[in-house]
Amino acid sequence: MDSGLKTKNPLLGWLGLVAIFIVAIVVAIVTGPGGLSFNSFFAFRLPRVFIGIVAGGVLGVIGGALQALLRNPLVDPWTLGVASGAALGASLAVILKLNSTIFLPILAFLGAVLAIGIVYSLARGKSGLTVTRLVLAGIIVSFFFSSLVLLLMVSGRRSLGEAVYLMMGHLGVVFTSRSLPLFIVSGLLALAGCLWLLLHARELDIISLSEEAALSLGVNVQFLTRMVFLIGSFTVGLVVAWTGAISFIGLVVPHLVRMMFGPRHSRVLPGSFLLGAGLLLFADAGARNIVPGGLPLSVITALIGVPFFIYLLRTRL
Amino acid sequence: MKAIAVQGLRFGYSNKPLFDQFSLNIEVGEFFGIIGPNGSGKSTLLRLFAGILLPEKGAVELLGQEIRTLSRRKIAQMVGLVPQESFFAFEWKVTEVVMMGRNPFLGLFDRPRQTDIAKVEEAMRLTEVIDFKDRNINSISSGEKQRAVLARALAQEPEILLLDEATSHLDIHHRLKILTILKGLNKKGRTIVFVSHELNDAAAFCSRILLLSGGRCLACDRPEKVITTDLIRQAYGVEPFVFSHPLTGGRPQIILPSE
Repeated sequence: MDSGLKTKNPLLGWLGLVAIFIVAIVVAIVTGPGGLSFNSFFAFRLPRVFIGIVAGGVLGVIGGALQALLRNPLVDPWTLGVASGAALGASLAVILKLNSTIFLPILAFLGAVLAIGIVYSLARGKSGLTVTRLVLAGIIVSFFFSSLVLLLMVSGRRSLGEAVYLMMGHLGVVFTSRSLPLFIVSGLLALAGCLWLLLHARELDIISLSEEAALSLGVNVQFLTRMVFLIGSFTVGLVVAWTGAISFIGLVVPHLVRMMFGPRHSRVLPGSFLLGAGLLLFADAGARNIVPGGLPLSVITALIGVPFFIYLLRTRL
Repeated sequence: MKAIAVQGLRFGYSNKPLFDQFSLNIEVGEFFGIIGPNGSGKSTLLRLFAGILLPEKGAVELLGQEIRTLSRRKIAQMVGLVPQESFFAFEWKVTEVVMMGRNPFLGLFDRPRQTDIAKVEEAMRLTEVIDFKDRNINSISSGEKQRAVLARALAQEPEILLLDEATSHLDIHHRLKILTILKGLNKKGRTIVFVSHELNDAAAFCSRILLLSGGRCLACDRPEKVITTDLIRQAYGVEPFVFSHPLTGGRPQIILPSE
């Protein structure tokens, strides 16, 4: 079952990932409508790159950690409904005109926690947690919350376009003197969450076997489970507050990294950060350049993600 | 010194007590068998020993220490568990799986040291999985996989080794291989607690056997005192032929009636 992508020399793989990451940053800066000027670089392109790095990186890392925790290759912040929960919280902040305040990330985080709580309790049947129930519950909750986002935004007299961007993702935030510090703090907190997970990479390795195996190998399963869910909804909440819900990055990226480096999370998590950030920047460049005026990000990420999802369905399940 | 001491244990699922006022002592260095029909509480008892389940009432002590006062890491340094079957969602190498056994000894910032690697190699040599240590754990046979999981438990260097029907899915070749490894470990002083449906294996290898039925101890004694026509009938409701033979070292063996 060794895949062809697997590198004999991990160093080569890391060089590849860093190269993708850097090329993606360059592409994100130099391409796009209107050419590159000093003003547009600092006002639009650079913030876009930073948001893209944090969002793609966080989605990749959290996807990898959730897949380990739930021993399930099909989960990520999007399929679990966490992203749509966060989008609901963010839309609430928008219609209450709180979207340049600390309440934006807080509401997004609360929405994410609400979503994961509902999905988890729906999925936990008499026979325990199963793959099918989890993904099904996630999709149902996603649909429901997306409807609520639309309902809230439209009844709050916001444009449909704005609602769609919130449900399907975008990187086009224009920073003001109020929102920039907030973004910096959000970004640093999200990175801190990823770092905590990286420090617990070995325990994530072990919990991916089974709860019982993890307990008998000295892992505090209850604590680790709570922390992964908490950090997952917190960091995804922070990201979605800025970008809206972006599909498939968290699902696809950890798989690709595992194919390169094997399943150890000390490699999967940092690798997923680099690749997630890179892929998201490429997707954003695509979204900006294919259609003038831009597309929601999930349009592009789904075009990449769905074929990969089908491949997973056919080979891994 | 007692490896495991259980005093006045009460435990049940959904308010129905399975064990009540249950007590048991297992000495250090014993090869202790637990047998009994399905649902008699064998696996539950093993999980109580491993601290995976906690008693509602009463005490479980490991090497003289009450299990509730021990951290998960500490328990994992004292007790290794080999389950009936293991599943791996990702493509681990055999050696990576065995290295997980060193987790209880590694801190947050530690990477495996030279001594950890040496212990993992030794465990893999003893269980004869070292020849395929770089193979994917999902690509080897179930007998080899089970030996890899045993190696993982040995890498924990536990004083007490718990096996939950660890040989049930294996052919006689692999079954005997694991039993022989366990016998060798026991000779070096390791305490083995062996839950099995294979009454003949338990009779041949264990120094003492507990026969459970509905959470109660029907007998707990040397094999020839436990594997008897009467007790087996009482526990399982079948009428076996029990015999002992010089080839079995005088240990009792059973044959099931075919009519």
